Amino acid sequence: MPPQPNDRLQGTLDLLILKLLRREPMHGWGIAQQIQQSSRDVLQINQGSLYPALHRLEERGWIAAEWGSSENNRRARYYKLTALGRRQLEQETASWEEFVLAVTRVLRTA
Amino acid sequence: MLSLQRILRRVQRLFAGGQRNEELDEEMQSHIEMETAKHVRAGMSEAEAHVRALRDFGGVARFRDETRDAHGVRAIEDFIHDVRIGVRGLLRQRTFATVAILTLAIGIGGTTAVFGAVYASLLAPLPYRDADRVMTLWQTDTKDGTARNEVSVPNFLDWRERSRSFSHMAIAEPFSLDYIGPDGPEVFNTALVTEGFFEALGVRPILGRTFLSEEFVAGKNQVVIISESLWRTRFGADSSLLNRPIVLDGAPMVLVGVMPRSVDVPWGSPTWAPKIIRPDELQARTSAYYSVVARLRDGVSIEAAQRDLSSVASDLAREYAPTNATTGASVVPVADALLGAARSRMYTLFGAMGFVLLIACVNVASLQLAQAVRRRRELATRATLGAGSGRLARQLFTECFVLAAVGGVLGLALAYGGLAGIRAIAPVDLPRVEDLQLQPVVIAFAFGITVLTALVFGLAPVLEARRMHLSEVISSGGRTVAGTRTRRRVQNALVITEIALALVLMVGAGLLVRSLRSLVTIDRGFEPSNVLVTTVQAWSFYRTPGERIAFAREAIERLRALPGVEAAGMSSSLPLSDPIGAEFAPLSIEGQPTGDGRPPVAHIEAVTPGYFDALRIPLRAGRTLATSDRDSSTAVALVNEAFVRRYWPNEKPLGKRIGMGFQRVSGVREVVGVVADVRHEGLDRAAEPSVFIPHSQGPTGAMNLVLRTNGDPRALEKPVRVTLASMNGSMPVSAMTTLDELFDTSLRDRRFQLALLGAFSVVALLLSAIGIYGVLSQTTSERTQEIGVRVAIGATAGQVLMMVVRQGAMLAAVGIAIGLAGAAALTRFLKSMLFEVTPFDPLTFVASLTLLFAAAIIACWIPARRAAAVDPVTALRD
Repeated sequence: MPPQPNDRLQGTLDLLILKLLRREPMHGWGIAQQIQQSSRDVLQINQGSLYPALHRLEERGWIAAEWGSSENNRRARYYKLTALGRRQLEQETASWEEFVLAVTRVLRTA
Repeated sequence: MLSLQRILRRVQRLFAGGQRNEELDEEMQSHIEMETAKHVRAGMSEAEAHVRALRDFGGVARFRDETRDAHGVRAIEDFIHDVRIGVRGLLRQRTFATVAILTLAIGIGGTTAVFGAVYASLLAPLPYRDADRVMTLWQTDTKDGTARNEVSVPNFLDWRERSRSFSHMAIAEPFSLDYIGPDGPEVFNTALVTEGFFEALGVRPILGRTFLSEEFVAGKNQVVIISESLWRTRFGADSSLLNRPIVLDGAPMVLVGVMPRSVDVPWGSPTWAPKIIRPDELQARTSAYYSVVARLRDGVSIEAAQRDLSSVASDLAREYAPTNATTGASVVPVADALLGAARSRMYTLFGAMGFVLLIACVNVASLQLAQAVRRRRELATRATLGAGSGRLARQLFTECFVLAAVGGVLGLALAYGGLAGIRAIAPVDLPRVEDLQLQPVVIAFAFGITVLTALVFGLAPVLEARRMHLSEVISSGGRTVAGTRTRRRVQNALVITEIALALVLMVGAGLLVRSLRSLVTIDRGFEPSNVLVTTVQAWSFYRTPGERIAFAREAIERLRALPGVEAAGMSSSLPLSDPIGAEFAPLSIEGQPTGDGRPPVAHIEAVTPGYFDALRIPLRAGRTLATSDRDSSTAVALVNEAFVRRYWPNEKPLGKRIGMGFQRVSGVREVVGVVADVRHEGLDRAAEPSVFIPHSQGPTGAMNLVLRTNGDPRALEKPVRVTLASMNGSMPVSAMTTLDELFDTSLRDRRFQLALLGAFSVVALLLSAIGIYGVLSQTTSERTQEIGVRVAIGATAGQVLMMVVRQGAMLAAVGIAIGLAGAAALTRFLKSMLFEVTPFDPLTFVASLTLLFAAAIIACWIPARRAAAVDPVTALRD
């Protein structure tokens, strides 16, 4: 069974999703692939976390979903960033960078 | 934070739940297809790629649960889903489900039926306006400690005049009115009431009015109010009869009102007429024969009213010391007065039924627990597939709920039948027996019990499921030992509990059986078989003593001559039935002091000589009455043995003199004989001191006719009616019965009680046997391997058998020990219902525990046999 994600990790997945959707609407599978590729296979997205995350974000009104057809003419659910999500992304990005910076500082000085 | 928008979205999703679910499925499907396509592009076969995609996706069920949790609509959907799974699961476990549902149905059905009876007679509001303000008033007597004596007219009048606490106060006097209808002459029981009676009760007629003030004056009192039931059955619910005369007692009485059906029960009277107080009653402070009802004035508490009335009574005690020195007054709410005796009986039944329901629940809980163990593997698998542990617990819980619901519905059906049964065997004095039916309140109660039951027995398996360690369960192939000991302890406790409860019920029922047996076999002093009895209302047709004596003599002669009649007699009262008129009278007895103004009292009966022959009451000394005892000859009397014991314990009674100052039988009489005691008031009441006088020396107008026959007494019913009609065609003869029937009626409430409690204890016995069986079957099947080892190293089948039986016997023994203590503590509540049996009757206790223990051992036997037949090779290989 997968380990329980902690808040930071869950927050990270949210951040990644929001970031990807800023460029263009994507479906779930696409998001998973994109994260995997962009991270050069370092980040493997568990689908069991991806979809709950998508629906959670949708629930919060940060992303919206609609049915469209995929590259291979398959019906797929496309998610896109909302205005609310855009603002959230800015906040999350800022706080993420702050976090990374803080960790890096500790690593360098210690 | 929940914005309005989010709330709206959530609501929308709840309604679009099905669609949402489909969308999710489709989204997942599309994801898996894309993943599969990717793997295929990478060179996998289609099938391989699909499996890989599925596996990577993870637990589908879990994913769905978590996703939907995000939408907050899950609980309701889950419930419906769980119910479906629950039903499916129960269908798979048919035996378990059947036993559990039957157990519950019996528990729920029985409780609901008994609750129906309790509700109707105890809890349902009385049909009076502000019924808690309606009181009954009684005389008390500090001398003999009696608390609820009826009231005399002068005391009533003084109470009414001097007390300040009541807005209305009235007396009701039992009376009867003759009515000649199309089906022949009849007698209507009547209450003669004084002004304010209906106002005190707070009842209104459904038709017409109550009595007016001027109708309580002699000469203006020819008015009557009848009950709705009488109005419907005898007068065809004809409202044009209002304000028209009905001929009652040979005189026209104007029908002024019809009272609703609900009102006629408490005072047992279908007709009411105004009571005119006679001059002689105004003087008779000791003639206390009247019921008094009163309504509390607004704002006056019962306690204040009691203080008020008590102070009036103590004033009267001073003013009328010779008669009232020890007389007090008590205020009793009408509900207590009406339901008093029935109340404790019903509570006992209700308590017993609660026990049965508890046993039923315990049984199902223990069945469920065993079931949960058997299903470990299934549950563990479901958990690995992604169902959360809370989810599993909820599912088990829902299963219980389905069980309880089905059991509840069946139970309700059972309750319908049960109430019909209760109505059929209910004693006549059970209050408001006609209200016994399933009422909304009762149904609500049944439903409440059902849900409660689901909760109670849902708890055990849920706790069990929460404690499960999945990996252990899976790796040990579902045969894990984790939590086994705790669970076994719980199960043992459950079985012990139900055995203890069952024993308490059995002891209770046993004590009632013993009481009934003592009552049936007791020497009742007369021989009830083959005796026909009826009441002849002769008084308005034969007005002078001479006419009455002549009528009685002729009637008896003619009846005696009928073929099949062995003996015929008349008396003013009959064993086990209501007396005609007042029966207890003060006496002066030779050798007894009468100094304190309270003369000795005895039961007075006017009888014809044939009475003793017809009832076969033996003569103990002297002579019996004879036809030669006439009005003109010496005044004589017989007394019974109780009279001799009380008043002349060390003297010869024959030839002694008794003085009577009682209406028609005043004067001094000589005792010429002693007859055996008769249990006149009821089989459970010792004989009262009685005096028998010849009818010819003190004739009454209404007489009980008793005929001993040499065959079926009912066969003589018609000839008797014809014979009496030939003497007087318009004289009412009441319905005929037999002494055996009166006898049965007097035992009816005991039989009723016994039938219910007996049924309960049989059910309890069966249920606890099932309980023991269930637990032992399960533990032996769990121990199959262990038993296999034992057999492999040389244990004989007999030893294995004993091992299992011993386990069951231990449980039974502990349960019985606890049950004995419980029974000893609880049976004293039965004391008022017991007759010549102590609440600690050793025979009952020993018999109950033996029976229960035997049943327990039999229940052990089947699993024990199965254990003994274990084949070590198979058991070990498993």
